Amino acid sequence: MSHHLFLLSPSDTPLYQLTHYSSKPSQTIPSPLASNLPSWSTSAFAGTLTALSGATSASQAHHAQGGTVRIGGGQDRHVIQMIANASLDVIEEVMRKENAMYLKSVDKFNEWTISAFVTPGNMKFVLLHETRNDDGIKAFFNDVWELYVKTMLNPFHTAHTPIRSTVFDARVRASAKKYL
Amino acid sequence: MAYTQPQPHPRFSVLSSSSLSSLEHLSPIGSSTRFSLPSAPSINTASVPKPGQRPNIYDRNLNKTRAAEVSASAFAFLFSEMVQYTHKRVSGINDLERRLNTLGYRVGMRVLELMSWRAEGSAKAPKREIRFLPALMNIHTHVWRAVFGKPADAIEKSVQNPDEYMIIDNDPPITRHISVPRDMSSLSCSSFTAGIVEAVLDGLGFPARVTAHNTPTDQYPGRTTILIKLEQSVLDREEAMKP
Repeated sequence: MSHHLFLLSPSDTPLYQLTHYSSKPSQTIPSPLASNLPSWSTSAFAGTLTALSGATSASQAHHAQGGTVRIGGGQDRHVIQMIANASLDVIEEVMRKENAMYLKSVDKFNEWTISAFVTPGNMKFVLLHETRNDDGIKAFFNDVWELYVKTMLNPFHTAHTPIRSTVFDARVRASAKKYL
Repeated sequence: MAYTQPQPHPRFSVLSSSSLSSLEHLSPIGSSTRFSLPSAPSINTASVPKPGQRPNIYDRNLNKTRAAEVSASAFAFLFSEMVQYTHKRVSGINDLERRLNTLGYRVGMRVLELMSWRAEGSAKAPKREIRFLPALMNIHTHVWRAVFGKPADAIEKSVQNPDEYMIIDNDPPITRHISVPRDMSSLSCSSFTAGIVEAVLDGLGFPARVTAHNTPTDQYPGRTTILIKLEQSVLDREEAMKP
C-alpha cells in the first residue's frame, strides 16, 4: 500500500513530491476489470492504459514480462501524477465553498482516494491514498504544513522554488511513517 | 600636527603603507598587524560557532514570539535602507512605489502563512477565510497587529465604486521617520504596506490591486489610505455566494 504526496504552488507548479510505502498491512482487492482486459504487452502505453482502466493484476503481469522497474499496477509515476493533477479541478471548486483547510476524500479515481490540504496562502498539498485514514492524514498534513511554513520563511525560498532540503524530506518521511 | 612629526607612531605608518597595497589590505594576515592589540586574532575565532551547531530552520519553534520583537529603530533603519536602495534603481515615483509594493508582497505572503499557522495550527479543523468582508476585517485587525503591533484605524467602502475598499491608518509606524521631498509629494512609502495587503488578499483568493495614498488631515498629518481595487472575479464570486 502506498501513499503519494504532492506539494503544489498557487500556480500549480509541483514543489515537492513523496512516495511512501506503508508498512501497515493492506488488503488487496483484485479488480474485476483486470480479467477482461487483453494483454497490452506490445503497446508503449500499456502501463498507462491498464492503470487508467483500473486493472491491477493485468498491469502487474505486464511489468513482469517487460522486465521494467516500475512500482506496480496502476501505480506508474506518470499515472499518479496525472491523477493528482486531475484532482486539482475538484479541489479548486471545493475550496471556493468550503472554508476548511483539510479537504478529506475530495476526489476518487479507481482505487485511489485523493485528500487535500489548502493553506491560507493557496498552497495545495495533495495526497493519494488507498485506504481511509482520516485522522492520520489530518495529523500528517498538519506536520507538513508546519514544515512548509518554516520553509517559506526562508528568504531564499519563493513560491515557485522546488523544495530540495534534505531535512524537509527527512521530516516529511518521518511524519509519513508515523501517521500513514 | 601629525604630518610634521618626524617619527610617526608605528601604528600609523603600518596603516598607511597597508592601505597603499590593496592586496595586503584585504588579506586577513595583514589585518592582524595593523592593530597593535596583541589579543586581536583570538576574538574572531572564539565566538564563531562550529558549523553544524547552528540550529536548523526546521528545529525552530514558530510560536516563540515573546523575545523576538525587533526594535522600532532597527526597523526604521532597515526600511530607510530599503527605500534608498530602491530609489537609486528606479526612474520615477510610480516605479518606486511599484518596487516597494513588490518588496511588501514578499513579506505579506509569509505573514499570511505564519499568522494563520499561529492562529489555526493547533485547531482541530483549521479554517481559511473564503468571504471577502471577514478577510478584510482580518487584515485590518490581525495582519496589522502581527506586522505593526496595533490594528488599523478604519475600514471604508467606496461610495462611487463597488469594487473599492480602503484601510486607513492614522499614523503608520513605518513612515513615521520619513519626510518626503516636495517634488515627490505624491510618493507614499506605505506602498510597502500595500504590497503586504495585496499578498494577503492574493493568497486568500481575492486578487486585487492595492495602492497607498497620503490623505493627511489636520489632526493626523501622516494619515495614509490603503486603497484596494478588487478584480471583477472577486465581486462575481461574492455575489454568487450570497445566501
